[in-house]
Amino acid sequence: AQSAKPISSPIPDAWYPTLAVFMLAIGLVVTASFFIYEATSSRKNRCLAKELATGAVASVFLGFGSLFLLLASGVYV
Amino acid sequence: MGIRFDLFFLSIAVLCAPCLSDLVLSKVDRRIDLTSQIARFTSTLKVENIGSDPVSEVLLPFPDHQAKNLAYLAATTNEGKGKTKGFTTTLPVEVVHPKGMPPALTWYSVSLPKGLGQGESLTLDVLAVFTHALRPFPEKIPQDQPQRVAFQDSAYYLSPYVVKVQLLSVKLPPGTKLESHTKLEKTEVSGSEIKYGPYENLPSFSYSPIVVHFENNQPFAVAQELVREIEISHWGNVQVTEHYNLIHGGSQLMGEFSRLEYQARPQIRGASAFRHLVAKLPPRAHSVYYRDEIGNISTSHLWGDSRKTQLEIEPRYPMFGGWKTAFTIGYGLPLKDFLFQSEGKRILNISFGSPIKDLVIDCLIVKVVLPEGSKDVSGSVPFPVKQWHETKFSHLDMVGRPVVVLEKMNVVQEHNQQFQVYYKFNNLSLLREPLMLISGFFFLFIACIVYMHADLTISKSSASYMAKLQWDEVQTAIQQVQRIINRCLTIHDKLEATLRDLSRTGDMQACKAARKAADGLLKELSKELKPLLAFLHSCPQAAQILPKVEELVAKERELQEKLMVKHSTVVDSYEKKSGGREIENRIASIQQKLTALRQEVEDLLEVIDEI
Repeated sequence: AQSAKPISSPIPDAWYPTLAVFMLAIGLVVTASFFIYEATSSRKNRCLAKELATGAVASVFLGFGSLFLLLASGVYV
Repeated sequence: MGIRFDLFFLSIAVLCAPCLSDLVLSKVDRRIDLTSQIARFTSTLKVENIGSDPVSEVLLPFPDHQAKNLAYLAATTNEGKGKTKGFTTTLPVEVVHPKGMPPALTWYSVSLPKGLGQGESLTLDVLAVFTHALRPFPEKIPQDQPQRVAFQDSAYYLSPYVVKVQLLSVKLPPGTKLESHTKLEKTEVSGSEIKYGPYENLPSFSYSPIVVHFENNQPFAVAQELVREIEISHWGNVQVTEHYNLIHGGSQLMGEFSRLEYQARPQIRGASAFRHLVAKLPPRAHSVYYRDEIGNISTSHLWGDSRKTQLEIEPRYPMFGGWKTAFTIGYGLPLKDFLFQSEGKRILNISFGSPIKDLVIDCLIVKVVLPEGSKDVSGSVPFPVKQWHETKFSHLDMVGRPVVVLEKMNVVQEHNQQFQVYYKFNNLSLLREPLMLISGFFFLFIACIVYMHADLTISKSSASYMAKLQWDEVQTAIQQVQRIINRCLTIHDKLEATLRDLSRTGDMQACKAARKAADGLLKELSKELKPLLAFLHSCPQAAQILPKVEELVAKERELQEKLMVKHSTVVDSYEKKSGGREIENRIASIQQKLTALRQEVEDLLEVIDEI
């Protein structure tokens, strides 16, 4: 077709490994803070909203980090 | 059997009257290329319209026994200087003529773009590719004999029109021995070419069978089945996986195979065997692998430049006649070379056939796997294929990926053209995969939270359970005490900051106001502290930690008092407008005690924390 533009990935290929490392690192740090909070707070002092928020942020970063890890290692999902 | 058929033909042709007299082929130049395992017929027909009506189609017949091996048929015309492809081939039209066209013929009709007017003439180039047309003869050979094949055709061009002048030239592989050939009039052999003709003014449907028996040691690689899977990932990769089932389609090996003789003199002992296959992959192919059921096959070479990537593979053993091998080749290609966007649809433009040179494929299945969420999938191929849809479940799939399956029999290298697959895809569907991963991880965290919140003890009145509950409460109380003490300390810090401000700006009112506020807050905090301390007193479990906590509270109170004294002395001195050094002298001792106390309070806090 005349106006056929090539399509490529929304994120440049070369960034996949770097993004994977950073996102996983941040995700693991947030996971660590989640577990520290769980371990040190006593039953009454726990705040469910804080737990859920930390868990959500950690899972977003871990999810994206593992996706980029899969892409960087050649498993194009 | 073929010979008998041809004689039958000849008789019919002689008896039959010519049926179509509108067109006349003024010159037919046929070249039959037998240099590889595939027979390629290139015919240049000069078509002249001697009738009165314009003619819009030219009929091409093929005998049935030849037509079942026909893999590819294309007709082109040369117009003017450049080569413009003005061709349309219509699929076999079984035209049954009432006046009896000779039976056992398959008819193809070439439609001319603009009709051929009266008196006009046109040059038509017809390329017909036949597979399995070279019959190995003898069918079984021992290892040291070269491979000989027999080829049958007609010296005269089979056509419903009258042919004025025709030539036939059969090209054999260079340097090979010609065993025998049919000798008609005007036959000459020059080097590796046999020329029949020129024959003039032959009636239509004239047929004269010829047989050429010659040596052909070219690789007879036939893929009985080839499955090509093309998987698209919008994250930037097209993965092509090809599963081959190869067989050597030439004379079968009779007797034993001697490896020693083969390795000593491969040209003589094993002339018809082939070792290498060359595949031409698109440029920028990466992650190329070559393996079979056992594992990776390391005998391969890969090199590439900006226009192609060349892969040369060597199966685990040389291929002799009748031997089979099966392997898989896979490679990845960058997405932007093959996927395009136009008018709201996405188009995949990729080659159809196998990248291996000169491979005959008996059954080719191409599967195009599109990402989840693709809609309105349709494929368009320049030649007729069988098409249907399937679903494949792959990584991170919920509903499966749509697959377009294209099947074609008898595929040759001429079929290695680009074909297109059209589909629609919303870019937001790309987020489906990370969302699935995120929800997976979130589920883990939720499970953790639920586990921490749930009370899973079986006996709710056992001593250890009660002790644990109590200790939990003690911990809560201590944490709250800590929090309060920390807030007191911040208030102390703020107060000291106001003192420093005072020495800079000399603003008495602000200082006094801050003092008042601090006083108020500290009173409130000590009120909050009281019930907690009472609770800790009542708790037997807190016996150990209670003295420390009380010490902490006492020290903090002392600190508070001393700070207040210091504050008032400083404020008084400012009111009396005494010098800086005097102020310092007055508060010197207090300051020392303050710092010491502060240090002790912080140490105690740490100790309590660790418990």
